[in-house]
Amino acid sequence: MNSPELVQLMKKRAEAVQACVSVVKGFDDIAAYTADLTKKQGGKTIAATGLDAAEYEILGLICESAGLTLLAPPFRNHARNIHTSLTVAGWGIADTGSLVIDSSSEDVRIATMLPETHIAILPAEKIKPDPEALAGELDRILKADTPAYMAFITGASRTADIERVLAIGVHGPRELHILIVEDHHA
Amino acid sequence: MIKTAQDIKSYKRQLKEALGDRFLRKALDNFNTAYRENRPHVYQGIDFEGIRDEIAAGKDAGLPHLKKMFEEFKVHAEAAGTKVHMAKDALQANEIIARIAREGGVERIIKAKSMTAEETFLNHHLEKTGFEVTETDLGEWIIQLRREGPSHMVMPAIHLSRYQVGDLFETVTREKQDSEDIDKLVKVARKSLRSVFLEADMGISGANFALADSGVLGLVTNEGNMRLVTTLPRIHVALVGYDKLIPNLQSALRILKVLPRNATGQAITSYVTWIKGTNPCLSAPSAHKEMHVVFLDNGRLSLAEDPVFSEALRCIRCGACANVCPIYSKVGGHKYGHVYIGAIGLILTLFYHGSENDRAIVQNCINCQACKSVCPVDIDLPHLIKKTYRAVMDQERQTPVKNVVLSKVMKNRKLFHFILRKAYLAQKPFSKNRPMIRHLPHFFEKKHGFRSLPVIARTPLRDQWKPLSPAVARPEYTIGFFVGCAIDFIYPEQGRALPALLGGHNVQVGFPMDQTCCGLPALMAAEEETAREVARQNIRALAPQKYDYILTLCASCASHLKHNYPKIFKQDPDPPIGLGEFTDKIIDFSSFLVNVLNVSPKAFKRTGKKVAYHSPCHLCRGLNVVDEPRQLIERAGHTYVPSKDEDVCCGFGGSYSVDFPEISSAILNKKLDNIEAADADLLVTDCPGCVIQLRGGMDKRDGRIEVKHLSEALADQLTTDDSQR
Repeated sequence: MNSPELVQLMKKRAEAVQACVSVVKGFDDIAAYTADLTKKQGGKTIAATGLDAAEYEILGLICESAGLTLLAPPFRNHARNIHTSLTVAGWGIADTGSLVIDSSSEDVRIATMLPETHIAILPAEKIKPDPEALAGELDRILKADTPAYMAFITGASRTADIERVLAIGVHGPRELHILIVEDHHA
Repeated sequence: MIKTAQDIKSYKRQLKEALGDRFLRKALDNFNTAYRENRPHVYQGIDFEGIRDEIAAGKDAGLPHLKKMFEEFKVHAEAAGTKVHMAKDALQANEIIARIAREGGVERIIKAKSMTAEETFLNHHLEKTGFEVTETDLGEWIIQLRREGPSHMVMPAIHLSRYQVGDLFETVTREKQDSEDIDKLVKVARKSLRSVFLEADMGISGANFALADSGVLGLVTNEGNMRLVTTLPRIHVALVGYDKLIPNLQSALRILKVLPRNATGQAITSYVTWIKGTNPCLSAPSAHKEMHVVFLDNGRLSLAEDPVFSEALRCIRCGACANVCPIYSKVGGHKYGHVYIGAIGLILTLFYHGSENDRAIVQNCINCQACKSVCPVDIDLPHLIKKTYRAVMDQERQTPVKNVVLSKVMKNRKLFHFILRKAYLAQKPFSKNRPMIRHLPHFFEKKHGFRSLPVIARTPLRDQWKPLSPAVARPEYTIGFFVGCAIDFIYPEQGRALPALLGGHNVQVGFPMDQTCCGLPALMAAEEETAREVARQNIRALAPQKYDYILTLCASCASHLKHNYPKIFKQDPDPPIGLGEFTDKIIDFSSFLVNVLNVSPKAFKRTGKKVAYHSPCHLCRGLNVVDEPRQLIERAGHTYVPSKDEDVCCGFGGSYSVDFPEISSAILNKKLDNIEAADADLLVTDCPGCVIQLRGGMDKRDGRIEVKHLSEALADQLTTDDSQR
């Protein structure tokens, strides 16, 4: 499978599990998307991880003009008060529409778990066809003699524990947005 | 608390009560159907059998090395700061975890769902020791609040309606709840538990995988609570059974392909998380989490060495054996397991919770093979359940009288057949010369009267046979007819149809008179020794070298002869000569007529009668014969009309329908409702046992649909012109 096919499959499979998927051009689009969505949902705060200094600055400026607060780490201090998170996925798995996010940093874990809405940036070139295609790289991380917390995230949190009726957004985020970007950090 | 019946009498009382729970029945019946209908879509493009066999082989290869994998896991996990513990039993595991909590100055504990913690009754122990424990998985939280055990391994609160949950939440929150709106009920849990997450000192989880070559735990979840449990508190303890140890990530990814699909119909769950060591945690004094893994033995290590039962340790806890079980769908998990639910629960209970908790429930298997057909690790569940029943009886040195009698009679063919012939005379006062006994004599309990019973034939097929099947000069095929007790002594007409159908096909049929019961009833009663004895007699009688095929009209006999005979002699130092040839030559009626003789539609009158089909468990799952009977219906000039749940058990199961008449009747009635809804004129099946059940049930409800064995339905349609065949 070539890259555009993988992007399409990733999109299809993630949407099948209620993720919102967009293909975007660059970080300006991402920052605007994040601020707009947060405002639209009536949120006030954004927790961002994995951005470089320039990106962080862009997001900060957009938040300021939109009247939103870009939360300063550590996010544990804001645990009850994170509306949106913006994170960067290490890989995508097209076959299942999953994100793979190295979550050994506590801030990444909190950012992907506690907010109402989780927005993840996924570089197009990091989309793999299936988990097996990623096994070597994962193995390298997991086999190192260091702590690890690696997460496959597929859609929003869900349950069917009451009468087998699917309900989205139990303890984790109620919405997952995936922004596939062609030239992230290009 | 869990109150599993410890004797069969109180168990039957409990079952009756459960059968009366209308919400439960409806919810689980719908679930059973929905699960089975959805399954093919979920597995589209996936080689289920191929992956299943690979996982089973991988698990089997690992079981002898659990201790080695444990040591390997320990080295890698410790290198990343994890403390690894061993617990020989449930109490020790609970004490280790309580000690960790005490030493860590813990007050509040949050838990993610873990069947292993249910197994050790960990919550009970921790609460008794003075800790505050909160389950955070929605279903687990609900049953914790209700002080119940889980009724399903994946969906622990599946036995409850939204209204029951709503009422419970009103008590907990002291606020009015909108029970109609499940989304809102779910949000109650989100809101109520958020503070609990943030204020807890310790989180407890289970694990789906423990990867030996890296010391990593793999967890497969949906709600997100497990990630919070393993992130927010400063201490994380994982309680893990030794059976979760697997060599590496590749083995885990392979299991991950089937676990969510089999469990919940998902390609993957929302969260699959790989955790190792002391990850950063700002609420810990060192800014790094304290991480413990407690490995639980509780019988696993000796189970792993058991030549028969080690297979049970392949289980990956998907819960599918309950999802497809017709009995589970009638009585629910609280009455179909102890802690572990479903077919696997009937087995594991003996090993993890003792014979006293298994002795009643283990008898409640109808042997329909539905669980086996969906098991993603190929555990021969129905077979192991009978083995477990035997082990319970051996451990307790208790054998029911009926087992003693059954064994004594069955081993002696002449005595057995003598009794059957006498039964013809004994039943006369009740049959009133009808072919069925509608009203059972008063010494039967009322609950057995859900179907009319067939009468024993005046003349068994063996006494009618000779003139029916004349010698063929130069036969193309020579077959041995394994007739089976039901056709021989109850329905000889089904057997008489065979020579009629074979006429003109140049087939010589032999009917060895020394053949006896196939032995399945003995195996169902866990009397394997008796089953072996009659098997020897049958193999001797049938002398497989004389025949091209050994044909039966009974799906249960066929599947028992073919698949159980090798199993019951597996550990026998002196298996019967010709066993392999015997089992190779077994063929069912439909396969012989379609695949060997290729009977022509020209041999039959074309009437276009609407015919529904009941697919016997031991034919469709036991022998994998699916298309042939339906083809025969059409070739015989009928119109086959599909009906719902054709391949679901009819509720007969031989002695099962006598031991558990109320469940048998509930399964039967659903089956008959489905058939009546299909608007057929005739119902056919190819197992005389199913005919007993279906015809008896149809008669009792005054249904208009006739029930016949496929052989009869075909013979009725024969044209008189032999040259056409």
